[in-house]
Amino acid sequence: MLRFAAVRLALIPPMLLGVSILVFVMLRLGQGDPALDYLRLSQIPPTDAALADARVLLGLDRPLVVQYLDWLRRALQGDFGLSYVTRRPVLPELLGFLPATLELAGTALAITLAVSLPLGAWAAGHRGRWQDRLVRGIAVLGVSLPNFWIAFLLVALFSVTLGWLPPMGRGTGRGTLTHLIMPALAICLMSLSVNARLLRASMLEVGGARHVVYARLRGLSEGAVRRRHVFRNALVPVVTATGMHVGELLGGALVVETIFAWPGVGRYAVSAIYNRDYPVIQCFTLVMTAVFVLCNLAVDIAYAWLDPRLRLGGEEAA
Amino acid sequence: MLKPATRAVAALVACFLGPAAAGQLTYSWPSNVGPLNPHLYAPNQMFAQASVYEPLVKVRGDGTVEPWLAESWSLSEDGRTYDFALRPGVTFSDGAPFDAAAVKANFDAILANRPRHAWLDLARQIEGTEILGPLAFRLVLKAPHDPTLLELALPRPFRFLSPRAMGADGTTAAGIKAPVGTGPWRLVDTQPGVSDTFARNPLYWGTKPAFEQLVVKVIPDPNTRVVALQTGQIDLVYGAAGQIPSEAFLRLRDMAPAFAAAVSPPLATRVLAMNSARFPTDERAVRRAINHAVDKDTLVRTVLDGLEPRADFLFAPSVPYADLGLRPYGFDRAAAARLLDAAGWLPGRDGVRMKDGRRLAVEVDFVGTNAQQRAIAEVLQADLARVGIEVRLIGEEESSILARQKDGRFGLIFGETWGPPYDPASFVSSMRAPSHADYQAQAGLPEKPSLDATIAAALAATDGTERRRLYAELLTTLHEAAIYLPISHAVAIEVHRPSITGVGFGPTINEIPFVAMRPAAR
Repeated sequence: MLRFAAVRLALIPPMLLGVSILVFVMLRLGQGDPALDYLRLSQIPPTDAALADARVLLGLDRPLVVQYLDWLRRALQGDFGLSYVTRRPVLPELLGFLPATLELAGTALAITLAVSLPLGAWAAGHRGRWQDRLVRGIAVLGVSLPNFWIAFLLVALFSVTLGWLPPMGRGTGRGTLTHLIMPALAICLMSLSVNARLLRASMLEVGGARHVVYARLRGLSEGAVRRRHVFRNALVPVVTATGMHVGELLGGALVVETIFAWPGVGRYAVSAIYNRDYPVIQCFTLVMTAVFVLCNLAVDIAYAWLDPRLRLGGEEAA
Repeated sequence: MLKPATRAVAALVACFLGPAAAGQLTYSWPSNVGPLNPHLYAPNQMFAQASVYEPLVKVRGDGTVEPWLAESWSLSEDGRTYDFALRPGVTFSDGAPFDAAAVKANFDAILANRPRHAWLDLARQIEGTEILGPLAFRLVLKAPHDPTLLELALPRPFRFLSPRAMGADGTTAAGIKAPVGTGPWRLVDTQPGVSDTFARNPLYWGTKPAFEQLVVKVIPDPNTRVVALQTGQIDLVYGAAGQIPSEAFLRLRDMAPAFAAAVSPPLATRVLAMNSARFPTDERAVRRAINHAVDKDTLVRTVLDGLEPRADFLFAPSVPYADLGLRPYGFDRAAAARLLDAAGWLPGRDGVRMKDGRRLAVEVDFVGTNAQQRAIAEVLQADLARVGIEVRLIGEEESSILARQKDGRFGLIFGETWGPPYDPASFVSSMRAPSHADYQAQAGLPEKPSLDATIAAALAATDGTERRRLYAELLTTLHEAAIYLPISHAVAIEVHRPSITGVGFGPTINEIPFVAMRPAAR
C-alpha cells in the first residue's frame, strides 16, 4: 500500500514537467500577442516602440527555449514569475485565491456525495417504480443543464425574486453558508446526477451477484444484505467516478465563480486566459494538475481500501 | 417583472443583507483597482487613480481647463515655458506638504521612465522642470505644444504622489511604498478578488466627500452587476455602456422609482476607419457610397437599443474645434448607387457590382467576441449588399484585430475616438503614428503628408484663430475624403438606488464624481 502510494507520488514531478512543457508551447502557438494585450489593458496605443518596450518588460524578446529554461529554473525555486497584468508574483497570488475555490469545490463534492448516494440507493431499492423514475428523471435533467444557466436561475429565484440568499461574493462567519450554497449547488448538479445513476446501476448489478444471493440464503436481514454486501461493493465504481468529479467540480468552479463574483482561482484563471497572462496560466495549470492528481491518488487509495483484491494482490506481488 | 409585494419583501431583505451602513457608498468594478501607482498603467484602474491623485489642472465639460492643484499659470511668448503657481495649504494624505519640490519629484519620477509614456506627446515634449519658489513650478517644453494643459489633466501619468511614498531613490517605475495622494479619497484596504475600500481623506483641501467610505466590489460579470444592484449589494452602476447589458439598463430604467437611471451626453464616437490604401476603399466614390448606404438610424435603434445618438462626423459638434457646419452623408441608397455608377461600378449577375473584372467586395474586421461589433458588422453587410457592395466579415480575437490595425491589414475596421479630454488634440495627434488604424486608413490619401503637417501645425499653434482654421482644414479634408464611417456617439450610463443622490456625469469617463454623491434624505 505504502509502496503503491510512493510510486504514484514519484510519478508526479515528471508529469508536471511534461505538462509545463506542453502548456508553455501550446500557449505560444496561438496567434495572439501578450504584449499587445498588455498595451490594450494599459490603454496605451500599440506603437512599434511601445510593443518592443512591452516585450522587453514581459521578457518575451528572448528565444523560446531560453524563456522556458529560465522559467523552469525559477519555478523549481518556487518563483513562477510576475503576472503580466497585475505585475505581482504569480504563486502567492494564486495560492491566495485557491482556498476559496477549494472551499467551493469541496462543498460541492460533499453535497454530491451526501445527496447522490442515498438517492442512488433509493432508486435501486425501488427499481422500475416511481421513485426510480423520479431519480432517473432528475439525473437526466442534472446532466443536461449547463451549470452557468442553473446559476442564473438560482440567482433569479433566490436572490432577486425571493431575496433569501446573497447573489454574489464569499461570506464570513454566519454568512459563509448562505454565500456558498448557490454556487456549490450550481456546479455539483452534474456530478450528483452521474453519481446517483452510477450507484443505482452498480447496486442493481451487485444485487444479482452470487455472494449476495448466498447472503440472503444465509438468512441475513434484507437491510444488512443491502448495507454490507450490496452497497459497499457497489461503491467501487462510484469512488472511481468521484475522482473524475473532482476535476469536473474544479472546472465548474472556473465558470461559476465569475457569475457569483466568487474570489477564487477560477476567475483569476479565466481573466488570465482572456488577457493572455502566460505566467498565470502556466502556474495555474500546474497547480490544478497537482491538485487533480493528488485527489485521484486519494481516490485510488480509497479504492484499494474498499477492494481487498487490489490491496492484497499488490502486497503479494511485492 | 416583480409583483409589488415581492419587490417590497426583496427590498426589505436587501436592506438586511446589503451594505447599507450609513456613510458608505458601494460601487463595483470588474477587477481590483491595483496598487494605485499614479505613474503606471495596468493593473491600476484609472477611475481609482483619479480618485486618489490630482492633477495641476482639470478639464471641464466644454473642453476648457480649470485650475486645480495649480491656482494659476502663465505661458511664455514662445509657447515653451509654463509657470505654475501652486495652490497653498494642500497636503498629501500622509501630511507631507504639496509644494514645488513635490511636483518636481513627481515629474522627475515620471520622466525617469519616459519610454513608458512615449504614447503621450507631452511626455516626449518636456525638456525640463524647475523649482522657482516654494509654490512656483516651471515646465519647459522642447517646442510649443497646444494640448499641454489637457494632457496634464489626464488621470495618468502627470499626477502627484507624496515624495515620502516613492520607491527607492525617488522613482516610481518599480513600485511605490503606499498610494498617498492629495485627492478626496485614500485607499485603505484591498481584498484580492473581493473589494477595495476607500476612506474619505480628512486632510482634503477641497469639498470633502459626503460618504465616509467608498467600497468598490469586484464584479467581473455584467449580469451579476445588475443583480447586485437589484439586491442592494451595490448602490451604483456607472461607466461605459458595457458595465451592464443595455437591455438590463432599459429594464432598470423602467423600474423607476426603484432605480434612477441616466445616459450621459456624447463622449466619444464609434467609427469604422476605411482603408484608403487598399482595394476597393482606395476609391473615394466607394467610401462615400458606403457612407450613404448605411441606415444608421435603424442600426442605432436596434443594435444599440436606442441608447446612443447617431454620429455623422468623426467628432461630435460639441467637441472643441469640431462644430464646422459640414454637410453629413445622409442615408440615401440612390445617392450611393449614383456614385458607384458614375465611378464605373456596375451591377454584376449576382447583384454585386463589378469593374474591370473585379468584384466590389470589402472586408469588415471586428473583435469576434464583441457581440456589439459583430451585430453592427452584420447590419453593414446587409445594408451594403442593397447597393451592390459585398461585405466579408472577419471576426478575430482582440489582439489579432489590434495587430491588423497596426499593420493596415483591414478594409473597414472598428475604432472609437478617445473622448474628452483627448478629443480632438491627442486623438488627431495619434493619426500621425503608423501603429494607429487612423494612420493606416489615411495612408492611401495623396494629401496624407499635408494632413500630418496640418496636425503638427494645429498642435503647435499658439494663436487660437489659427488653430481653429487648421482644425477646420483637417476635419474638412477627412470628411470630404470620407475616410471614416461614423456610427454613433458612445455614452456613459449610470443607474443608482434611491438611497443615494447627487449622481451626475463628469466631463470624462475616467473620473467618477463620487465626491458629489450623498445619501438621500430618508
